[in-house]
Amino acid sequence: MSKTVVKSNKNNIKPITMVIYIFLIILAVIYLAPLLWMLSVSLKDNAGVMAAPFALPEVFHFENYVQAWTLGKLGQALINSVLVCGVTLIVSMFFGAMAAFAIARMRWKFSEAMHTFFLIGMMVPVHCILIPLFVRFAKLGLTNSRFGLMIPYITFSLPMTIFLLTGFFKSMPGELFEAAAIDGCGIYGCFFRIALPLCRTGFFVSGLMTFIGNWNELLLAMVFISDPMKKTLPVTLTYFVGPYATNYVQMFAAIIIAIAPTVIVYCMFSNQIVEGLTTGAVKG
Amino acid sequence: MNKKRLLSVLLSAAMVAGTMTMAVPVAAEETEEITWMFWDDLEATEDLISKGYKEVIDRFNTEYEGQYHVTPITTNLEEYDGKLNALIAAGQTPDVYICNPGPNMDVYVNAGAAADLTDILQNQEADWYASFTDGIFERMTYDGKIMAVPTNFAAACVYYNTEMFAAAGVEVPATYDELLEVCQKLQEAGYTPISCSAGTAWCLSMIAGYLCDRQGVDLQAIADHTANWTDENCIAAGEKLKELSQYFQPTAAGDSNDQATAAFYNGEAAMLVQGSWAIAQINGNNPEFEEKCGVFQFPGIEGANDPNRMIVKTDNLLMSSTTEHQDAAIALMKMFTDETAQKYTAEVGGKFPIIKDLEINYDKAPAQLKYVQDIMANATGTFGFYNESLVSVEAGDCFDNAMVDIFLGNQTPEEAFQTVQTFYEDNVWE
Amino acid sequence: MDKILRDKKAICIFVAPALAMFVLVLVIPVIQMLYYSLCDYAALTPPSFVGLANYKKLFFKDSTFRIALKNSIFFMIFSAVTQQVIGLLLAVMLTNIPKGRNLFKNIYYLPCVLSSAALGLLWAFLFNPKIGINNLLAKFGIEGPLWLMESKGFIVLPMWVIAFVALWQYVGQNMMLYMAQITGISRDVYEASYIDGASKVKAFRYITLPLIKPMVITSLSLNCIGSLKFFDLVYNMTQGGPNHRTEVLATELYAEGFNYFKYGYASAISVVLLVMCLVVTLLVKKVIKVETYES
Repeated sequence: MSKTVVKSNKNNIKPITMVIYIFLIILAVIYLAPLLWMLSVSLKDNAGVMAAPFALPEVFHFENYVQAWTLGKLGQALINSVLVCGVTLIVSMFFGAMAAFAIARMRWKFSEAMHTFFLIGMMVPVHCILIPLFVRFAKLGLTNSRFGLMIPYITFSLPMTIFLLTGFFKSMPGELFEAAAIDGCGIYGCFFRIALPLCRTGFFVSGLMTFIGNWNELLLAMVFISDPMKKTLPVTLTYFVGPYATNYVQMFAAIIIAIAPTVIVYCMFSNQIVEGLTTGAVKG
Repeated sequence: MNKKRLLSVLLSAAMVAGTMTMAVPVAAEETEEITWMFWDDLEATEDLISKGYKEVIDRFNTEYEGQYHVTPITTNLEEYDGKLNALIAAGQTPDVYICNPGPNMDVYVNAGAAADLTDILQNQEADWYASFTDGIFERMTYDGKIMAVPTNFAAACVYYNTEMFAAAGVEVPATYDELLEVCQKLQEAGYTPISCSAGTAWCLSMIAGYLCDRQGVDLQAIADHTANWTDENCIAAGEKLKELSQYFQPTAAGDSNDQATAAFYNGEAAMLVQGSWAIAQINGNNPEFEEKCGVFQFPGIEGANDPNRMIVKTDNLLMSSTTEHQDAAIALMKMFTDETAQKYTAEVGGKFPIIKDLEINYDKAPAQLKYVQDIMANATGTFGFYNESLVSVEAGDCFDNAMVDIFLGNQTPEEAFQTVQTFYEDNVWE
Repeated sequence: MDKILRDKKAICIFVAPALAMFVLVLVIPVIQMLYYSLCDYAALTPPSFVGLANYKKLFFKDSTFRIALKNSIFFMIFSAVTQQVIGLLLAVMLTNIPKGRNLFKNIYYLPCVLSSAALGLLWAFLFNPKIGINNLLAKFGIEGPLWLMESKGFIVLPMWVIAFVALWQYVGQNMMLYMAQITGISRDVYEASYIDGASKVKAFRYITLPLIKPMVITSLSLNCIGSLKFFDLVYNMTQGGPNHRTEVLATELYAEGFNYFKYGYASAISVVLLVMCLVVTLLVKKVIKVETYES
């Protein structure tokens, strides 16, 4: 990340900075405490949670995780989630990049209109179209299949991808493409050899965003998939909240297992997100 | 793209770990495949009735191996109807599916998604039909056609902590006025008299339903608009609900059903009004509680309606009207209602069997079941949950919400029942 | 060069896949939804045309819809104001501290990437009268309110609670967007202003604010649309209760469609929701006029 903003001229920390730090630390506690509390609950037993919800676990009940993993078939669910989200990611980025490239760099009458058209897609709540979509897909035999789930996921990922990538493509200097054209590069060459490789950060940001969005998506997955072997992670999570009894500790253990991949991926790449946003979304 | 590659390596590592748990059942080619849809996950469930259903499914698949095979489609309770509707709308009705009685079943019957079982039951499978308890098909009969088969039924009663009653020096109340006295004395003795959940609206509405019925509210007359929700007996029931609710635990407004039940079996409150499914939950969570848990029927109101009417509820199986594997579906439904399954229902699940001449070993069964059984023996009539006995699911919710508002003190009984009345004027009586 | 960029065939090839999916999976269902909103359509029976009856009922007879509309608008305004202000504030603070910027930023952004369904369960648990925050308050002798069941007031307490949780979860998004914009502002601009004797506050007022204006539009639009469509947290924390007092448009839509199977009626709510999203986006663009800015 580029060095930014004004540095204080003096070496000692000013009182105002101290105040800011205190504020930021309190805030950080507010952010982390509930998550850590969830971790603590997931290691207790149900009776212990009811008796003293905020006490740290006396005995670590790691078996909650084992039970959650086996009972909830989290392994299979993890595979399904990775598969569905992975394919969605690749396809939506490719299609999104193509459309974004045409909108951002090519010259045609409706490019602005097309951009707006895709953006309107962001406003459609998925609930509205669930029924017509499901009925249609059922007729085509696309329900209860992971492939069928990918199609709406890809579609709903497109607006965000196009929005972000258009910004990235627009920010690329035009001379690059002109030079390439002079070298005899056609439009497809420009796209594949110049635009795509130069847009890595853009892919990274939009990819991460759509991946996270789909990873957490519940409603479509719930309605579309019936076969227990094809369910995604969020759907399996809901089963820990049973109709007549709630098993809190296993529920939290399952939630932790489910969010762990996101947290790990996030911690590894969070800096790139900002970097990407800096160069991309700003110009969107 | 190095980071992306790293990401994919990470995730595929997770995939490999997951593969270990994979096991895909392979069915023989000539096997008839059917589906059964249910509102709880059969693998993860803690509920004893659901576990019993899982046993039935396993038994079916073993016994009919090579001939029939059933695959359960499960959702959680909240999404069950939405998903079932989507499947039916898409022409993928499960061969057999479970359903609540009342307006919920009306929807599927009226839409033609349920098969008429009358002929099968009365002629083709007369022995099976004869095994059922008399009168059990009443709420499943539409214009003389039997549209569903029950798997069990539960009755709503008052459970009480005998130790607390003894300590406070009170006896089981037979009338509403006595109930108030008992509550008062329990409170004076330092106990929370009643544990109730208003966070889960139907729990509160169960008490309201009993009070309405005891006051002589006639739902059929209301549906026909020969009576109104603003009639005196409704308002009186609302006032009694308000009166009784002062004896609820302080957190009743926010507690969920589970928490209210837990408060009872953990000895924090003296009484609980619940369906008999709570028996399994109570004994399952606190086995020592079984011996100090008594049961009595909801008290009557003097000078009003018959005090021996009970709230009951069946779980019902519907068969798809478009199933191509009727024999397999029938075989499955028969297995849900055979002696083994029904014995389990009573002795482990704590719900009532729906077949006659079943020998229940009450020593094995939870103690409370026998008490409920004795109460049922004296029952002069039954009625459903109020929210499942009104004209539509929405009307049921409207009633539940009105009761919650009375309890919270946001509305007087008059205002609350006026809301229900208005709903009927706008949507039902048009 | 120009000729290449005007290649009609290439444009078609580039846009076609995305456009086709969009039309098939989004546009056609939305048109269907528009049609259903004019029908009496009860899930399992075929739709029958009833004109504007659903809308009439929605606007004149449905008290739940009024609550949902009120709550959604409250939620949008609350989220827009608090998330913008706090998001910007955090961004400014974080860009001005010498150390730990990444750490804090990552912490505040973390909930954004987690499933709001899971976080909803967590917070519902925390606001539970017995086991959550009230349990903690009780240790200090304070009797906490029924966070998720209190039902008095124009905007009920549970709505504030949900709005707070949403703020907690999503303020990181705005912070990130603003940080991205602020760090993009050249350091020279600031240094020049200090040489001219400008204070930090003045620099913020006259340099930072104008330069982040384009981002305000993006972030505010995303904010408003997000809060109008908001579903997960409400559904997992209160399910719209007690007695519909925390219902928002999306949850009412869901209840009408999937609990009562009134698809026609639910479609009418969807249309209202969609129209509101469009209007709000246009308003945001109109109200905040952008001076074009190139860095």
